[in-house]
Amino acid sequence: MSHIPPMPTMRDRTLKYLLVLPAVLVVFATAVWPLIESLRFSFYQGRTDRGDFPQNWLGFENYTWAFLYEPPFWNSVYVTGLYTVVTVVLTTAFALGLAMLLAPGGKLRSGVQTLLILPFAMSPALIGVSFRFMFNPEFGLFDAFFGVVFPPLADVSWLANPDLAFAVIVMADVWGWIPFLTLVLIGGLASVPQDTIEAAQVDGASGWRVFKDVTLPQLLPVLAVVIILKAIFSLKTFDQVFMLTNGGPGTATQTLSHYIYITSTRYGQVGYAASVAWLMVIPMMVLTYFYAKFVFKKDDGA
Amino acid sequence: MAEIRLKNLTKRWGDFIGVDDQSLDIHDEEFLVLLGPSGCGKTTTMRMIAGLEDPTAGEIWIGDRMVNDDLPKDRDVAMVFQNYGLYPHMTIYDNIAYPLKVRGTPKADIKPRVERAAEQVELTEFLHRKPKALSGGQRQRVALARAIVRTPKVFLMDEPLSNLDAKLRVTMRAELKHLSRALQITTVYVTHDQIEAMTLADRVAVMRHGIIQQLGTPDDIYNDPANMFVAGFIGSPAMNLINGSVQSGMFITTGGTKLVGIGGPDRESAILGVRADDMSVHDAGEGDIDVTIYAFENTGESTLLTVQWGKQRVIARGDRHLRKEQDDVVGIKLNPDHLYLFDPESGDRIRMGGA
Repeated sequence: MSHIPPMPTMRDRTLKYLLVLPAVLVVFATAVWPLIESLRFSFYQGRTDRGDFPQNWLGFENYTWAFLYEPPFWNSVYVTGLYTVVTVVLTTAFALGLAMLLAPGGKLRSGVQTLLILPFAMSPALIGVSFRFMFNPEFGLFDAFFGVVFPPLADVSWLANPDLAFAVIVMADVWGWIPFLTLVLIGGLASVPQDTIEAAQVDGASGWRVFKDVTLPQLLPVLAVVIILKAIFSLKTFDQVFMLTNGGPGTATQTLSHYIYITSTRYGQVGYAASVAWLMVIPMMVLTYFYAKFVFKKDDGA
Repeated sequence: MAEIRLKNLTKRWGDFIGVDDQSLDIHDEEFLVLLGPSGCGKTTTMRMIAGLEDPTAGEIWIGDRMVNDDLPKDRDVAMVFQNYGLYPHMTIYDNIAYPLKVRGTPKADIKPRVERAAEQVELTEFLHRKPKALSGGQRQRVALARAIVRTPKVFLMDEPLSNLDAKLRVTMRAELKHLSRALQITTVYVTHDQIEAMTLADRVAVMRHGIIQQLGTPDDIYNDPANMFVAGFIGSPAMNLINGSVQSGMFITTGGTKLVGIGGPDRESAILGVRADDMSVHDAGEGDIDVTIYAFENTGESTLLTVQWGKQRVIARGDRHLRKEQDDVVGIKLNPDHLYLFDPESGDRIRMGGA
């Protein structure tokens, strides 16, 4: 006879809560508590160059200040918005194209997939550093490359031109994100039933119509998740901007995250920075809502 | 409407041979069934006709056009898939209308044609639902309606009934037969179910290992099988295959029992094929051979007797009113007009007497 386990007792039930408690405490200490504190600071004048902290209660004054009197805030909103739209569109388009190419399988597939993981495995800061180095106007890769291929472009100072600098951080971000989203979309394409595609082919649809009428609609839930996920990550982009351009030249590539970082650490306006950070939460919450809606979507069957 | 001609068609994946150098002429308006166990190449053959698979060698002709290099959309065929292949995001109406839409049928024509097709398969009240809301049999009908909504040159059906439960399968089989007689369009139908093949086909091609074993009417393949494989594959229960030899015109079982006169030259080893229906059950001593009942089964419409025959077991069909017990001894008589002799090495049929 094998050993019969004892009936669970109250102690066993409380034990399971005790076991998750450390994790809950860590999350509370590192995420929940700072969030609450930052929300509190956002209603105060909180300058780090004063003796006491935070200083006087301001109510919503930090928020209205951002909207009414801070052109740099609006600049970073514009930069972040443009950056998000451009990177989401480019990354999704490239990832979808690559996924379509890789989905049929073949001998190279697993090798290519492994290679694809690499850029995603790199930390964004590292991507920033390596791109910065590649775009160095004197000894960077692009300098050497254009020196041979098209000399007029060789001595362009990429990161010193506002538009080019913006293009460079977009490029670095798109490069870093394509692989992961490609893998997600390959998975999505694999879940599109092959016989629906073949049925459309036999029904008389051209390759493009099969994609448009049959593949794409069935891929839509996955595609939506990809777009929303990428939008969330684009909105909060900080690492690459910090490493590549540090928001410059001027504030041409200053995203909201970078703006928050500068106002709080360089200018010591923690209360104001906290209010901007909480403003950023609004679009994030909206996107997260849609993300959750698509991820946990129930089939209605109608 | 068109005939289909396959000329020396071959499909290989590396070393694996799916279809091996097969030629087949399918007549205009014919209902041809490709029958065989899984992996025999029947589905591959059909997919090559549809254009979903490229042949390694050989030619496919539909009508007077060689279609090897045509895309599926340009072959003017309609196909019903095993898992139906319905578009889950479209309503039933849009599913059925899709072949018309992509082929640029004028909008005014689409509606009546979809409605007519839906009527033919009795789906009219479901047109605004999505496939998910339908039962398996209804989805099957949608797939059928999508195929018949235009008039293609050829219908291709890939095990269309295999996902239905047994009862529904019988109903759908009759509907399919009725529909195909009404439409009179060349049809290729793939199945592993010999009853579907027998009931639906004008002609059946029995396949195995990528090779057509026999091509003939259901009567031909049932009553005149070309080899042991076809004999064993067609019929339920399967044909009994009894090991033995032929000596002075008599078939002698491996156990040494003289069984039945079949004529012809002596053979050291041979296999006698006899269907359960071609054996009659009598009292002990009154048949060709006395045997002990191993199991007695009453199926309602008849009885099945599994009997111990030397070292082998053989199934005979008895009258529905017959009642026997396990270990009873009965006499079995073989119908001499329906005995088949096979070569145990090659499995080929040995034609007996002058036939």
